[in-house]
Amino acid sequence: MTLHGALSIILNIKPGKKESLERLLQEIDKDVNQNSLIPFSKFSDIHFARFIVLDKSHDVNGNPIQERLIFTTNHDLPFDKHLNELIQFGGNGLWKVFSMCDNFIEGEYDELILRKFITENNYKAETFYVGVGDRSVTEIKEENILRKEIEKFIDDNRDNLIMKDEIELRKDIQNFVFKNKELEFAKIPVPEPPSDWTFMKIAKLILVIFGVIVFLPLVILFLFIWMIIVLIIESNTKDEKCFIDREHVRELLNNENGIVQNQFSAYGNLKPGFFRLTTLKFILALTDFLAPYIFSKGRLSGIPTVHFARWIILSEGRQMIFLSNYDGNSEGYLRDFINIAAKQLTLIFTHVVGYPKTRLMIFGGAKDAKGFMEWARQNQLITNVWFNAYPDLSVKNIFRNSKIRNGLYGEMNEIQAGNWLKLF
Amino acid sequence: MIEKSDLQGIIVRGYGDLTSACFLVLNIVKSNEAKVWLKNNLVNITSGDMKPSESAMNIAFTHRGLNILKLQKECMDNFPMEFEDGMTEDYKQILLGDYGESDPDNWQWGGKKNEEVHLLLMLYAKDENELKNLFEKVSSDFEKYGLNLLKKLDTSNIIERKEHFGFHDGIAQPVIKGLSSLDIPGNTVAAGEFILGYKNEYDQYTESPGIDIKDDKENILDFYKNEFEEIQNSGLKNFGKNGTYIVFRQIEQEVEKFWSYVNSKTADADGNCNINEMIKLASKFVGRWPSGVPLVDSPDEDKVNFDNTSLDKFGYNDEDKAGERCPVGSHIRRTNPRDSIDGGRKDSISIANKHRILRRGRSYGEPVTKSMKPEDIIKEKNYGGERGLYFICMNADIGRQFEFIQNFWVNNPKFEGLVNDRDPITGNHSNPDSRRTKGTFTVQDDKLRNRYHDLPEFVTVKGGAYFFLPGLKALKYLTTI
Repeated sequence: MTLHGALSIILNIKPGKKESLERLLQEIDKDVNQNSLIPFSKFSDIHFARFIVLDKSHDVNGNPIQERLIFTTNHDLPFDKHLNELIQFGGNGLWKVFSMCDNFIEGEYDELILRKFITENNYKAETFYVGVGDRSVTEIKEENILRKEIEKFIDDNRDNLIMKDEIELRKDIQNFVFKNKELEFAKIPVPEPPSDWTFMKIAKLILVIFGVIVFLPLVILFLFIWMIIVLIIESNTKDEKCFIDREHVRELLNNENGIVQNQFSAYGNLKPGFFRLTTLKFILALTDFLAPYIFSKGRLSGIPTVHFARWIILSEGRQMIFLSNYDGNSEGYLRDFINIAAKQLTLIFTHVVGYPKTRLMIFGGAKDAKGFMEWARQNQLITNVWFNAYPDLSVKNIFRNSKIRNGLYGEMNEIQAGNWLKLF
Repeated sequence: MIEKSDLQGIIVRGYGDLTSACFLVLNIVKSNEAKVWLKNNLVNITSGDMKPSESAMNIAFTHRGLNILKLQKECMDNFPMEFEDGMTEDYKQILLGDYGESDPDNWQWGGKKNEEVHLLLMLYAKDENELKNLFEKVSSDFEKYGLNLLKKLDTSNIIERKEHFGFHDGIAQPVIKGLSSLDIPGNTVAAGEFILGYKNEYDQYTESPGIDIKDDKENILDFYKNEFEEIQNSGLKNFGKNGTYIVFRQIEQEVEKFWSYVNSKTADADGNCNINEMIKLASKFVGRWPSGVPLVDSPDEDKVNFDNTSLDKFGYNDEDKAGERCPVGSHIRRTNPRDSIDGGRKDSISIANKHRILRRGRSYGEPVTKSMKPEDIIKEKNYGGERGLYFICMNADIGRQFEFIQNFWVNNPKFEGLVNDRDPITGNHSNPDSRRTKGTFTVQDDKLRNRYHDLPEFVTVKGGAYFFLPGLKALKYLTTI
């Protein structure tokens, strides 16, 4: 099993350097896999990565915010290994990119300085959602090869196979896999998580639930007061109309050319006030804590297409950015937000300026489908560089491929074998 | 209440009794003259409260067409972007699957290299003779009024409502709430999904472009309305009201390619064709038997005496979740997944109904045989000539309805957990990045799935455009600007 990390580097761009930085990123984007700066295909542990250049902006009070660069990866842990690969394959490229940003020492390439810089500037995401379970890049790729090979075996031998009963049929497939040199990795199952890790995971949850129960009267009182404050704040929040720039939307759609996967980046100003910021931070922290328990089956609040997502609060609490990697196109993706997860996501996004009107931070909101779509498009960003390691796999494919692999081991009765065979 | 008298008739009915039809694609050369022509012809436009028995005519405009007629800029800007951008903007190619042979560069009309399309005239008549008269009457003064006929699209009438591959077409249609007798709740869809000015499935008024009250000098248009009253203080009149958007695509069907592919996958070891197996596999592609009987109801054979009123009364969730009767990737399951979308029956119907379309297509080109029985089509030796379907559908939100279906369902290789299949009938299997890859089609089975490789495209898009079909008041308004 593998756990994941979310590296986020957020830097101010040096005055006057934005254009040259964008040109540099363009060079990477031209051939994201094999460019000479950061050849992403060489990495063994990056699921997704992206660069975004944020234009100058203003917070809700009109204070200017500088141009920024955002660099993120979704990587396999441990972090040190990821850092090593970053330095090994992308060190020089990253050096060039970061040189155009504030607080970076210019000059000759120095591995140690770069290492230190990345480690120190790694911004922690408030919420990090993993939709691919506890799988590493290698496992995901290998299990897809495994499925493809078995499918081919079935295609070539179906007439024979279909004559056999389910148990024999499964045996034939097992034999094919275990004798295949290319599929050496599939001889053994992916190691289970260490038992103390599983224990800790459950213990943590029980502890929290226990805590909530013990303090239930206090929690209820707190919730009650909180709800009243929310109602007051909501009634004092004035509606902001969203303005849709069609050229911007066209650029976004032109950028969106993945057949299977696409990415989504959006950011906006947070509505002002200590209460809102605290509420938002609490909800994001809670989501972050609960996600591994309640969203562990590849579904973010029921949305079955999200590989990874993260929320980061920026600019000392004045802005928030949301980044995700998903299957399909943005129209379908945003429709899923509305149709499947309106309440949960409204609880988070209601704190961003321009979000459709809500009641108690849950009701309303994304239920206003039109308002939600306009808000999302207005806040959506052009992503300058985007890398995906397995562009032809959906989240569902990844989970099914693992089920196929796991079905190779141990004994099965006829019904179990029959169910396994239906995975193809 | 839906104002039937202000709707153009094609929304309410497909004019099934008017078996002859043709579609005229026009370009407006002179704007003012064209408006005079429109004014003269307003009386000929069939409305939704008429039940024509002789002939019918409806009219629709592209975004460019309305612009040429000098519809006010604020109104033009308020049309949805999907309509403004049409079918051929670069980003639409992946979205709609219009690449490879279907690239808009190769289209016969409406494409990037063709003359701009402004206007669509839909003519229907009870027979060819009547249609000829109607066409001559309508088109006689095109030139005088600055209208240039780019294309006359003639239709053909195929026996038993079949399409050219030999299957009963046009069965599953949504019922518009408040317009006709109610169907089962799952198939009754809010009027705002198909007509502007009414509430849609999100309980919201679908976006509808407006006109400054001052521009409506003759006081033709209505105000916007909410549930309770007219909104008079907004300063706007509702130009879009009782209108809808028409998606029009000319889709060539290669009947020989279709049946010979099916033959190549079902012939016995000696190469003899097995007609029953051919029909069975083709029906797996479609999800229905040639007669229209759903595979969910009858997985093993076509039924002669099937109750015709039950052709559309089925679901997948309880009967066939795994697709062992009707494959998950089959045409009718993709284009309307009913209750089978992952996440549960009730939610699924509610989601599926936010992506419905009202179909009004007609076939063109000579059918391969008169009888249109698959066994006769297969035996036929002469497949010469072009034939296909004028796919015509209506929806109030092109992006959420037609484009969504086309992208998220028809051409989505990952549809409902699949790996690399696209719609076997209308999908585009050629990968835009690599021409060599071809499609697959998986037929689920109670023991071991079967998978068909190297699926070619059986259909090619040859032309098309998005049109706005205005309500009758809005049409009248257009003659006054």
